[in-house]
Amino acid sequence: MQVIFKVIRQEKNSSPHIQTYQLDVEAGNTILDCLNRIKWEQDGSLAFRKNCRNTICGSCGMRINGRSALACKENVGSELQRLQSLPTQATDLDRIPEITVAPMGNMPVIKDLVVDMSSFWNHLEAVEPYVSTQARLVPEREFLQTPQERSQLEKTGNCILCGACYSECNAREVNPNFVGPHALAKAYRMVADSRDERTRSRLEEYNEGTQGVWGCTRCFYCNTVCPMGVEPLEQINQIKQEILAFKETQDSRSIRHRKVLVDLVKQGGWIDERQFGLQVVGNYFRDLRGLLSIGPLGLRMLIRGKFPLSFEPSPGAPVVRSLIEAVQKRERGK
Amino acid sequence: MPSSPLKYAYFPGCVAQGACRELYQSTQALTQALGIELVELKTAACCGSGTFKEDSQLLEDSVNARNIALAEELQLPLLTHCSTCQGVIGHVDERLKECQKKDPAYIDQVNGLLQQEGCVPYQGSTEVKHLLYALVADYGLETIQQQVKRSLSGLRCAAFYGCYLLRAQKSMPYDDPYCPESMENLFRAVGATPVYYRGRTQCCGWPLASYATTESFKMAGMHIQEAITAGADCMVTPCPLCHLNLDSRQPEVEKVIERKLGLPVLHLPQLIALALGVKPKQLGLDRHIVSTRPVLEKLGL
Repeated sequence: MQVIFKVIRQEKNSSPHIQTYQLDVEAGNTILDCLNRIKWEQDGSLAFRKNCRNTICGSCGMRINGRSALACKENVGSELQRLQSLPTQATDLDRIPEITVAPMGNMPVIKDLVVDMSSFWNHLEAVEPYVSTQARLVPEREFLQTPQERSQLEKTGNCILCGACYSECNAREVNPNFVGPHALAKAYRMVADSRDERTRSRLEEYNEGTQGVWGCTRCFYCNTVCPMGVEPLEQINQIKQEILAFKETQDSRSIRHRKVLVDLVKQGGWIDERQFGLQVVGNYFRDLRGLLSIGPLGLRMLIRGKFPLSFEPSPGAPVVRSLIEAVQKRERGK
Repeated sequence: MPSSPLKYAYFPGCVAQGACRELYQSTQALTQALGIELVELKTAACCGSGTFKEDSQLLEDSVNARNIALAEELQLPLLTHCSTCQGVIGHVDERLKECQKKDPAYIDQVNGLLQQEGCVPYQGSTEVKHLLYALVADYGLETIQQQVKRSLSGLRCAAFYGCYLLRAQKSMPYDDPYCPESMENLFRAVGATPVYYRGRTQCCGWPLASYATTESFKMAGMHIQEAITAGADCMVTPCPLCHLNLDSRQPEVEKVIERKLGLPVLHLPQLIALALGVKPKQLGLDRHIVSTRPVLEKLGL
C-alpha cells in the first residue's frame, strides 16, 4: 500500500519545515523500517537515531502521529488504524494515508529527528541513579536480595531511557529545573532498592522545591507514552507516599497541600475551598505573604459573585471520616 | 435518540458546590432541557483529585469504592461533570474491576473497610461516565442537534479537555487520548466552530497553583495564548479545576506571561445549554472572572 510520510525536518537554529516522502509499504513494516527505506532509497540526508530495531536500546524515540513513541515498536498498520478511527481523519478512502513523524519535544533539535538530549542525561544524573557506594563495596559473598525485594525493582528496571516521557512532560516544558519522569522513576528504583543505604537522604533531596517530585503536575503523559510500561507517574506517587509518611503539615506548602486536603475531606466530606486556600497558602494565618497573594483572587471572586459564601458538608462526612481513619490506622500499621 | 429517558447517579464534586457553582447550575439546566434525570449522590465524598493516592492507594480506592457503591445501590451509572473526578473515580472502578479477577483479596480488604463503617460494599456492577460522554455516546449528537433552538454559528470554540479525562483511565472507548474529538463534535452539533490548537490535551497547571504559581500560570498562559492565536472566541472545558486556573487566575496568568489575554472560558454544559435556549443568567455566565459578554454579544444575546 502507498503511504505518505510527512517528516518535520529542521536544521539547528532554523525553523522547521515539512518534507513528504511516498513509500510502498506493508502493514507490518515498522516506522523505523520506513525511515530506513526513505534514507537508503530516497534521501540520504534525513537524520534520525536508531540501533537495535527491537525495543531494547531506546534510540529511536520520536513523535509519531502526535505522541512520542519508538519508531521500531509502532508499525504502519496500527498507525493507520488509529488515524482511521479519528472522525476528522477518516475522510475519503481514495486519498493516500499520511503518517506524521516529528522530533521529540522539550529538547532542542540538532538535525531533523535527532534532538540534543543533554538535559535529559543531566537530569538523570541529578537524582544519583546509583545504588549507594556503601553497598557497592562488595562483601565476600554477593549481595543477596530476596525475590520479593527484587520484584520491587521490576517496573522501574524496565526503563530503556528512550526519552518519550521527558519529551511529553508538561511540567518540564515550563520548568527547566524539573528533573522529569524518567529520572524520578529511576529515583524510586533507588528508594525501593534494599541494598541502597541512602533512602532517607534521597527522599529529602527528591522532596526539595519543584525540581523533584513536587514539580510533577500529574498530566499523565509519561504513563501514556512510555513504551515499556514503567508508569513513571506511579513511581513519583510512590516517592511522595514515602515523603508524606514522615513530613509534617508545617514543612512546606506542597506537603501542606496534601495533608490539608485529606483533613478537609475528613471534616466535611467535600472540600471547603476557602479553608483550603487559607490553610495551604496562608498556613493558618502564619504565612502573611501567602495570604496576601491569594487576596486579590478572593476579592475578585467576591466582586463577581463567585466566592463561595457558605459551605455545606456532605451528610456522609462522619462515615467518610471514620473510613479514612480506619485506612490511616491500617497504613500506619504496615 | 435514547429509547428510554436517561438517568444517572450524579456526583457533583467539590468545586461545582464551591467556587464553580455556575457549573452545578448549568449541569442542572442542561440535563433538565434534555430530559436527562439526575439523582444526586448527596452523601458522596471528594474523590481526592489524585491527591489521596499520593498518600495511600488504599485511601483513594476505599473512599471512591464507597462513592461508586452509592451509585450501584441505585442501579445507575455514576455521572461526573469534572475531568478530574472522572479520571480518579473512573480509574478506581477500572482497577477494582480488574482486582475482582486478579486480586480478590484486595477487594475483600476494601469491602471489609466499607462494611466496618456500615457502607454497602463495592460490586463492580456499574460504570463511571463523564457528562461529555453521556452526551456524545448515550444521548447522541444527532439528538442534541435536533434540539438546538439557537445555533451557535460563528462562535469559535477552543476545547480544553483536562488530563484526567484523557489519560487517567486505561480504557478510553470514546476518544483517542492524543487526538480527542468529542468536544469538537459537540461544538459542531450545536453550530459552533471548533478551533484546534496544540495545548487542548495538555495540563492547565492547576495541580501546581498552590505552591509553584509561576510554572502553573505559565502553563495556563501558554494554552490561552495559543487558543487566541488560533482565533478562538472562547475556551470550553469539561473540568472545573481547569476552569479555576484558566478563568479565575487569568489576571495573574496575564502578569506572569506579560500579555493581556481576556479569553472567556465556558463550562461545557453552559455552552450546550445556550444552544438549547437556556438564558445566560440561568447558567451563571455573569459569574466568571473573565467576562463572558463578548461571547454573548457574538451570539446576539
